[in-house]
Amino acid sequence: MSGFIAFAIINVVVVMALAPLYISLVKKMKAFLQGRKGPGLLQAYYSLWKLFKKEVVYSSNSSFIMRVAPYISIISALVAALFVPLLFIPDDYSGFGNIILLLYILAVGKFFMALGGLDAGSAFGGMGSSREMSISSMVEPVVIVLFAAIAFVFRSTNLFEILREASHGLGGYASLWLLLIPLVIVLLTETARIPIDNPETHLELTMVHEAMILEQSGRNLALLEIASAIKQLLLMGIIINLFMPMGFNLQVLFPAGILIAFGAFAIKGAFLAASIGVIESSVAKLRLFRLPNLFALSFFLSVVTIMMEVLL
Amino acid sequence: MSEFDKEVRRLFPSTRFEEANKGEVVVKADDTEIPALAQRLKEQRFSLMLLFAMEDFNGANGITLWYVFEKEGFEEILVIQAAMKESMESIAAIFPPAYLYEREIMDGFGVAFARAFDQRRLFLHEAYPEGFHPLLRSFRNMHIKAKKAISLSEEYPFKEVKGHGVYQIPVGPVHAGIIPPGHFRFSVIGETIFNLEIRHFWKHRGIEKLAEGMAPEEGLLLAQGICGDEAIANALAYCMAIEKICAIHVPSRAEHIRALFAEMERVYSLLGDIAGMVVDVAYPLGASPFFILREEMLRWNEALSGSRFLKGAMKIGGMAHDVQPAALSELSRYLGSFYSRFTEGINGILSSSMVVDRFETTGVVKKELVLPLHLSGPIARASGIHADVRVQHPYGLYQQIAPSNKVTEEGDVLARFRVKAATIKDSVGIIKRIIASLPSGKMCAEYRLHDGHAFSLVESSRGQNIHFISLGNGKIERYKVRTASFCNWNAIEHAVLGNIVPDFPLINKSMNLSYEGNDL
Repeated sequence: MSGFIAFAIINVVVVMALAPLYISLVKKMKAFLQGRKGPGLLQAYYSLWKLFKKEVVYSSNSSFIMRVAPYISIISALVAALFVPLLFIPDDYSGFGNIILLLYILAVGKFFMALGGLDAGSAFGGMGSSREMSISSMVEPVVIVLFAAIAFVFRSTNLFEILREASHGLGGYASLWLLLIPLVIVLLTETARIPIDNPETHLELTMVHEAMILEQSGRNLALLEIASAIKQLLLMGIIINLFMPMGFNLQVLFPAGILIAFGAFAIKGAFLAASIGVIESSVAKLRLFRLPNLFALSFFLSVVTIMMEVLL
Repeated sequence: MSEFDKEVRRLFPSTRFEEANKGEVVVKADDTEIPALAQRLKEQRFSLMLLFAMEDFNGANGITLWYVFEKEGFEEILVIQAAMKESMESIAAIFPPAYLYEREIMDGFGVAFARAFDQRRLFLHEAYPEGFHPLLRSFRNMHIKAKKAISLSEEYPFKEVKGHGVYQIPVGPVHAGIIPPGHFRFSVIGETIFNLEIRHFWKHRGIEKLAEGMAPEEGLLLAQGICGDEAIANALAYCMAIEKICAIHVPSRAEHIRALFAEMERVYSLLGDIAGMVVDVAYPLGASPFFILREEMLRWNEALSGSRFLKGAMKIGGMAHDVQPAALSELSRYLGSFYSRFTEGINGILSSSMVVDRFETTGVVKKELVLPLHLSGPIARASGIHADVRVQHPYGLYQQIAPSNKVTEEGDVLARFRVKAATIKDSVGIIKRIIASLPSGKMCAEYRLHDGHAFSLVESSRGQNIHFISLGNGKIERYKVRTASFCNWNAIEHAVLGNIVPDFPLINKSMNLSYEGNDL
């Protein structure tokens, strides 16, 4: 069990440390492509620090939901962080790593975020929550089928086992590459990015995720921002460790192996974050009612993968 | 006698025609005649350009109402003056924009319009005290006591769609971004907009009142401050009105530079619109070429006039300063590369299927609305009406150089995008022609002021701006400005119907109307 505790501490610390960095990095990449300088790489940390120091303002219409939602969101994100090994896989992980459970732990956080949006009784919060939930209800079956496809490929529903298999090389899992596209679509959707949502907009009426947290302020807002950043990092972590496992789960002595794995992950993460920036820059936001087409593509590729696994 | 005179005389066989400036046909009417006259004018496809009031005009006691009309195909404008008795019958049911003008007059002068379907306050919000009518002569500028609290019954009644599943989205006047204040009240089912009512006038500056008693030279500064990115357009209209009153002949070189600056203003303003439309569909990479070009144009503005926004360039009788010939020839060379880079940027946008999908069929302004709502500028041209003051009421250099405007029929965001892009290209062409044919000579005419009143019309980047100035004893007695935005804001309320809420910002940006030009 002590092995798992060491894993838990290291994994959570790495998640907390890197999550804001990749938020900044995506922004930096987008700015670079537009010919702007963009914010510094540490800007996300400064912003969080600033928010932590600010007071929290509650609407007089709000109930306890508004007060507990940020904590439930951050807790669900941190628990989810225990399910996605970033640097190495511990010897003992009994009870952790089920991908279906991971999905629904993340869903709990999102559910409370949406409730918080409704709680203050403002039009924007309600609008954001209703849009977020509409998109979620469309994307949830897609994500389930996608993860089922991954499970079919590796014959396991445990992320630790899946990633251990993947770290031996993907030579035998050609069909997995089909899932890269749905995974990226899900990553963009779950992190509220273009073409689904626009994280940088100041236009209340087009917002989805941002409208939902518009009523949040100070420390609570910071917690929600961290929770979103963690979610992004975890989804990135799954993609990285599935498709680019170099340096992951090295059988080298502690702490050298951990440091190498950390360095490798940070670099791969930077690469993926920059790629997200490129994707975001090269497309426009879809019309809200066209989103199902995008999800249908994701769904289709997952189903094809499953059929290949079952039939071939 | 001109064709327009004949046309008007056919309509008003027995009415009294007044002595008037060139380009204006002035008719005196009794207050009781107005509704019938308005009806007749509407049948003859006249359009209400402006309605305003003036106190003690020409020594008469009381309030005179001025109804100003234009008709497609005629350069002249028709002005109907009517002395107001107790109250005047509303013509808002005949000419829809009148519902704004009449409320403006009710607020400013404390008079009533009978049978007006909308009697709510316009630019004086609920917080202003009762009986406060700033445009009356008797009112002196001073500190006023705003109401501390507004009771429920005093609150502004919005028109709302009610029923099962309908909800209201109030937006503004405080926004998440750094933009001027405006309140938008949506009635929505799901994401579909069923009604939108816009409420503006949150930062009323009282420009018309401030102008009273100013010397004409002083008023010019006020005019160019009306709206930041229409500084040249409004300053030019102001100068043209004064020059009309005082019969000042502007030197040819100054006329050229005026048109040059007006076109440069149009280019940088519309570049901002185009970039903004692309940003609003979350495609900042596609927008960055336009932001870069806009910044370069602002630097050219500074090189030529000393001001990035072309302020302080205009003067009554001509221009304040001459421009450097070397800078002009450099600008001409720069515009060659501007044209190709701009075209490349536009082609990039139009070849992105995702952007075109967002633009197409979004926010349609129907052609039938253009005339009744008196829409002008690129919005009208995108909806199939060739409205452009430079063509319809040519002034200054535009009597020799006419823009070759693009007119499209669709009226959607894509049509406005194309029309604005074409207008920029057109303006660049005009700038090059002006530089090539710039005559030498004086920059400013000598002049002597005398009293009188006149209208002037210019085409700003947003459409038709109309100014009215009345000078008495060498000072401004009344200054009335109506920019294109005042009428064009109404277009949005119609364009959004049936669209989804997340498309509203795009529709709004595709028109990019002015809050300042609307709320003087």
